[in-house]
Amino acid sequence: MNAKLLRDTLELTLAADDTFPQRFYNHLFEAHPQLRDMFTRNSRGAQNKMFAQKIAAIVDHVDDPSWLDRELRGLATSHAGYGVTAEMYPWVGDALIATVREACGDEWSAEAEHAWTEAYGVIAKAILAATP
Amino acid sequence: MDVVDATAEGELPWGNSRPRAGRKAPALVLAWSLDEPERIGEVLPIARVTSIGRGAALDDDPAPRTMLHRLRPGRALACPPIANARMSRLQLVVEPLGEDRIRLRSVGRAIVRVAGKQVTECVARAGEIVEVHNAAVFLVTSRHVELPAMNVPDDFAFGAPDPFGIVGESEVAWRLREALAFAASTDKHVLISGESGVGKELAARAIHGLSSRRDRTFVARNAATMPESLIDAELFGNVKNYPNPGMPERSGLIGEAHASTLFLDEIGDLPESSQVHLLRVLDQDGEYQRLGDARMQRSAFRLVAATNRPLDTLKHDFLARFTHRIALPGLPDRRDDIPLVLGTILRRTAHTNPAIAQRFFERRDGRIAEPRLAPDLVVRLLRHPFTHHVRELERIVWLALGTADGDYVGVTGAVEAELRESAESAVASVEIDRDTVARALEENGRSVTRTAKALGLKNRFVLIRLLKKYALSAATGSEDA
Repeated sequence: MNAKLLRDTLELTLAADDTFPQRFYNHLFEAHPQLRDMFTRNSRGAQNKMFAQKIAAIVDHVDDPSWLDRELRGLATSHAGYGVTAEMYPWVGDALIATVREACGDEWSAEAEHAWTEAYGVIAKAILAATP
Repeated sequence: MDVVDATAEGELPWGNSRPRAGRKAPALVLAWSLDEPERIGEVLPIARVTSIGRGAALDDDPAPRTMLHRLRPGRALACPPIANARMSRLQLVVEPLGEDRIRLRSVGRAIVRVAGKQVTECVARAGEIVEVHNAAVFLVTSRHVELPAMNVPDDFAFGAPDPFGIVGESEVAWRLREALAFAASTDKHVLISGESGVGKELAARAIHGLSSRRDRTFVARNAATMPESLIDAELFGNVKNYPNPGMPERSGLIGEAHASTLFLDEIGDLPESSQVHLLRVLDQDGEYQRLGDARMQRSAFRLVAATNRPLDTLKHDFLARFTHRIALPGLPDRRDDIPLVLGTILRRTAHTNPAIAQRFFERRDGRIAEPRLAPDLVVRLLRHPFTHHVRELERIVWLALGTADGDYVGVTGAVEAELRESAESAVASVEIDRDTVARALEENGRSVTRTAKALGLKNRFVLIRLLKKYALSAATGSEDA
């Protein structure tokens, strides 16, 4: 995984766009409105903060296999508890990459698209493999 | 054999007035954080050049990282790395310049403002504010990193109110808790002084709660609310039908406070004659007579009195009976605690008002979590020259809640006007020289209230500060000074 490119583009996204997490959820719910009901436990603001923190932590540790393994196992369990199914992971990936792409604007490249697609694929696969 | 030079500086036990707490260093106190509000009050000491950013140290950090700490007396707990998503992995490089200044370089992607101006490099002094856009607000302070161990309760959550409701993790707050605990451990009378709104009754209750009298009822009364003709009856009680037929028998505040604590607020409002009567009781080891009663009574009460007036307005011999005198700090004396006090007020408000909780607070796992607080409000409050302290902060919070347009607590037009008006009054007072104050005091019969008005000050507390600053004596014998 291209850790440096992932980090650079995420930093750019977080610095350039205060509404990054909200736009992610807008993309997700626009394409899959049925997912809205899965996000009622937390207020919108709290959900946004949790999402931004989690994405930043994963990208920060993308080259730390033992941290990732531990974290993704935890995510697999909690996601299963919330009713997340295998078909939903690509939906989330599409919304995430679309949001980062928009925020990066002219600095987005085919290389960045590849880095995010590859990284998300690896992570989603690891979560699914650890899902009870 | 080691030879110890007992004359070397600091070797003699009385060579230092306090146990060593190390030397002061500049520090950044976390005052607001978008993603980690539970960490407000944590301190990042700047003892050497330090890299600051999200997560653990990076290979290319220009200087080692320093962790945020939770500082309590006798211990400094290093906290996990910053996990704030909007803070860059390497955001700031900070270098200490003496005890109270830092040189700061912004090297991350997030915009950094110091004293409201966007910067890439600057020097910031204690009291100035560093904002990392939409991520965090830090207050630059100068403090001891290690506080000596103190004999005070410290088994409450970091940043939360202590068992007596006092909020604060600053050095000043802990020194205050230490002074209250020491006074409580003795049986001597205590005088608490401090401006209106600093929490004098809270401090008195803490002394009672920490004392061996804690299981007895705390008796509290505001001396300013006692009608002058009934003060003696209120204090000493009376027998049945005295002084008027039909009067029920009363034990009086001194009798009620037997073996407990009597808190008399605004003691400065007691007429001199009543101060003399009370003084006699204090001198006679609690011996007193109820009105209309020939027999002597004895009350083993401990008096905790409070005043917001200059101490020289109290009768000299009355003042001398207070073994302990504790001056309560105002919010400007402990700015690092303002965000914690603000959070406590907001949470208390939410717990008693579900509509406010619903509108202004985040919800996590179905439970009320942190308030949605705009960083600009925190920044403004950190700079505000409070004259009525916690009471004033509470009023500003209610104003912000009551005039909010959206679902967050921020600087509304009404809050802006209120903050500006108070600040202008405080700033104006700074420009008044000593001679002008002294002359106005004379011209107004040494009345603090009238002098404050004549000088165009917002209230008499602003004048009291000026009197303190210029070492001027407030009115003696005046009715309101």
